[in-house]
Amino acid sequence: MEDKTKTLQREFLKVFEKLEVVLGWEPGYDSLHATPSFIRQAKDLNKLVWNPLCSQNLCTYLVKTLNASVRKDDKKIGICVKGCDSRSLVALIQEKFITRETFYIVGIPCEGTVDWRRLMRIEPSLKDVQKVDIQGNELEVETAQKTYRFPLQQVLEQRCLHCRYPNPIIYDCLIGEPITPHIGDDQAYGDIEKIEQYSLPDRLKFWEKELDRCIRCYACRNACPLCVCRDSCIAETRTPKWLSQRCDLKEKFFYHMIHAIHLAGRCTECGECERVCPMEIPVTLIKKKLNQIVKDLLDYEAGIDPQKQPPLLTFDPGEKGI
Amino acid sequence: MRIGVFICKCGTNIAATVDTEAVARKALEYPDVVYATDYMYTCSEPGQDEIQQAIEEHDLQGVVVAACSPRMHEVTFRRAVEKAGLNRYMFEQANIREHCSWISKDTEANTRKAIDLVRMSVEKLRFNHPLFSSQVPINKRVLVIGGGISGIQAALDCAEGGLDVVMVERESTIGGKMAKLDKTFPTIDCSACILGPKMVDVAQHENIHLYAYSEIESVSGYMGNFKVDIRKKATYVDWDACTGCGLCTEKCPAKKSFDGFNEGLDTTTAINISFPQAIPKRAKIDPKYCWYLTKEKCKICQKICPVDAIRFDMKDETVVEEVGAIIVATGFDLVDHSVYGEYGGGHYPDVITGLQFERLVSASGPYEGHIIRPSDGKEPKNIVFIACVGSRDPSIGRPYCSGICCMYIAKQAILARDHIPDSNCYVFYIDIRAPGKNYEEFVRRAQEDYGVQYIRGRVGKIYPQGEHLIVQGIDTLLGIQVEVEADLVVLATGVAASVGAKELAEKLRISYDEYGFYMESHPKLRPVETNTAGVFLAGVCQGPKDIPASVAQGSAAAAKTQILFSRDTIETDPQIAKVNERMCIGCGKCIDVCPFGSIQWKTLRDGSQKAEVLDTVCQGCGLCNATCPPKAIQLQHCTDDQILAEIEVLCAGERHG
Repeated sequence: MEDKTKTLQREFLKVFEKLEVVLGWEPGYDSLHATPSFIRQAKDLNKLVWNPLCSQNLCTYLVKTLNASVRKDDKKIGICVKGCDSRSLVALIQEKFITRETFYIVGIPCEGTVDWRRLMRIEPSLKDVQKVDIQGNELEVETAQKTYRFPLQQVLEQRCLHCRYPNPIIYDCLIGEPITPHIGDDQAYGDIEKIEQYSLPDRLKFWEKELDRCIRCYACRNACPLCVCRDSCIAETRTPKWLSQRCDLKEKFFYHMIHAIHLAGRCTECGECERVCPMEIPVTLIKKKLNQIVKDLLDYEAGIDPQKQPPLLTFDPGEKGI
Repeated sequence: MRIGVFICKCGTNIAATVDTEAVARKALEYPDVVYATDYMYTCSEPGQDEIQQAIEEHDLQGVVVAACSPRMHEVTFRRAVEKAGLNRYMFEQANIREHCSWISKDTEANTRKAIDLVRMSVEKLRFNHPLFSSQVPINKRVLVIGGGISGIQAALDCAEGGLDVVMVERESTIGGKMAKLDKTFPTIDCSACILGPKMVDVAQHENIHLYAYSEIESVSGYMGNFKVDIRKKATYVDWDACTGCGLCTEKCPAKKSFDGFNEGLDTTTAINISFPQAIPKRAKIDPKYCWYLTKEKCKICQKICPVDAIRFDMKDETVVEEVGAIIVATGFDLVDHSVYGEYGGGHYPDVITGLQFERLVSASGPYEGHIIRPSDGKEPKNIVFIACVGSRDPSIGRPYCSGICCMYIAKQAILARDHIPDSNCYVFYIDIRAPGKNYEEFVRRAQEDYGVQYIRGRVGKIYPQGEHLIVQGIDTLLGIQVEVEADLVVLATGVAASVGAKELAEKLRISYDEYGFYMESHPKLRPVETNTAGVFLAGVCQGPKDIPASVAQGSAAAAKTQILFSRDTIETDPQIAKVNERMCIGCGKCIDVCPFGSIQWKTLRDGSQKAEVLDTVCQGCGLCNATCPPKAIQLQHCTDDQILAEIEVLCAGERHG
């Protein structure tokens, strides 16, 4: 079987003349990182890689960086999506930020991506990594010296452990075979249920402790594919003045609640906010909780059906559920 | 800013449970407040004078009145501050009556809450800025929805006043329920004789354009400038050609069609004219029963029509009308009595509704005015009337009184005794409600002059026995069980909201109560207006009422329309949403959530897309503001900063207090 990286490069090469740019991943600053890659020339396509280090959700760049809604010619944007990334793409289509026709989508069924911080905690001496691959239930890391094997449960990102959509929802070309999710729909909100078992005061204590670590760097916001306000984010505007720039718990709490409320019924659970958080605050949980409420009340999941109108972005006097 | 605070005692309404003096004293401590006082009735003339004097003496730039709900007197006070030279929007009203003094007897707690409410209003006012209205022209045409007596009266009054009227009627003829009645209480004058000329007036009035057999598809726009899509349902007859000669109805072989006008007592032909006095007197084909439209054979009407008016290929057609006001007069339907299993659940042919009895006794009805039993055509000797069927009955979700049934069964009993002098009439009732002019006397006449036997009590069961119906009830005055061997039972079926009332309300953006009756703007002081400006109510669509009240309300709605149209322009409300284009990210979410369609795209010179609010359509509801992620769209009279400032002082107060 051909290496998926090779297939990826070949598939893009076939259609490259119709594309303005290809969004994919390339090797990063060290052997345990991949980094987003914007390829505008066919000769650079061989930079592209696919491996369990390709964490970034490339949809984040569509509205904020590429302004993908404004196209100068009829050339398309090529983009690689994992299952979770594809939901963000669908959500952006639903909200009419982008149109489906603008994209050539290469979908990649994904077994999960590696949380390098967890990996380094288990094996701090890891260096000179040459290859990272998933084999069955294990992550195989080849270094110059030896081959390590880690159980996936210990090294994957949190989002991947609860992933229900490993297969892309929409694509023009699929690399590899669809895979079965690790968990069923009934376990989708298992991580939330764990926290909900706490008493209310304990729950408050938990969140105060977690959110107090926030340094208001806004990485969570910047990495979010659906945070589309760019320079107008109300975390920073003076009029209206929702938040002050003070770095105390109240303001941090408020900021994270606003972020979550803005994503209610929109969040596609790609987990980027949590992945990029330098303080490792489990912020995705708040958004997942709101998603659970939206699912219960309105029977809706974001980023599944490009034709469906998100329920909080419509006016229906006969609204059922609320 | 220099702010004045006025605390109203509202007689004892507020002062009994709020220490208004303490509230005023406390208000003086707030930033920018330079004057504060309490007063017996702030809304009274001396009360308003005091505000105006204070504005002058203390050079006030903004005013807070703590009194009743702003829904009550906001307009009053705005006018008062405007007279004293302030912008009318430099005013805030704190509701310390409905939200405070009326809900608890604890003076200390109430006073504390009143202080907080005033504190919040002051803080909001500090962020207020003057707002200005603009003027838009009024389209002086009026749409009347519904061609019953109420709609007819409204349309005629408007037309007589020189207005262009568009009338839309769902059925193929106007006249509504009144056209089906035989006589009217309490004068026993012939319904058709008093209604008929008015129907003819509608048809002949040059200012009235009638769309019969049509329905409202959608309504957009706002007071002064509504746009209405009207769907003309296919009649399969070209009404411009049809003369209403009725030849087609004589020859149509599909004679088993449902006869809605006769309440199903009779059948009619697939091509039919509802009744001889129908306006417009035009034939229509019921596609459910027409042989050609269901089985593609027949076409007899087409062969026989002397003016070639039959169009089997006719389709529904939508026309657009532009009007400045809308009068809703959609009337009512009867409660479905089949929910009462004990009365036969609609299965006994000789248990009929009040309206069916009207058709029975009407000379234009199926039996030409002879009271006979629908089952066997025999003349009934014992007739039982049962009041409150579907009224005052919480068990079927209708606790309200239909208001007209006591009167119409008295009338029907009188008519029955008149038509069949040797008959016996029994009326089972709970209470007799006869509060209108000459109504009580009328009921007395039924009892005393016509010998109708009134039995106070409910009927528990009706069951057939041989040719008869056994009516088992109770006489609560005598405390005994009663059994009547009846030949005919008439149920005084109650009034229910018209079929489709809720759907229409949503198109018109007016509210309705839990039974589907439309909500007036104020139950006492604004009985004809709705909360949507430019939409008025007339007749039973607003709640059960009799013919005189329906006619009066029709005229009232016409008067309200004339008042609105007496000006050439209307002031727009500046309390609306506005987009800060520099902050707008062009996500379009506000456009999706706006219930009024008042936000549209605007392309700037650099090609970027921004949201833009249509001033005259926006109702200031704030859904867009709640949805806008960067809060680029703000309500001019209630900005985020104002709400945040209110919350800020409220929470700060709690910490210190």
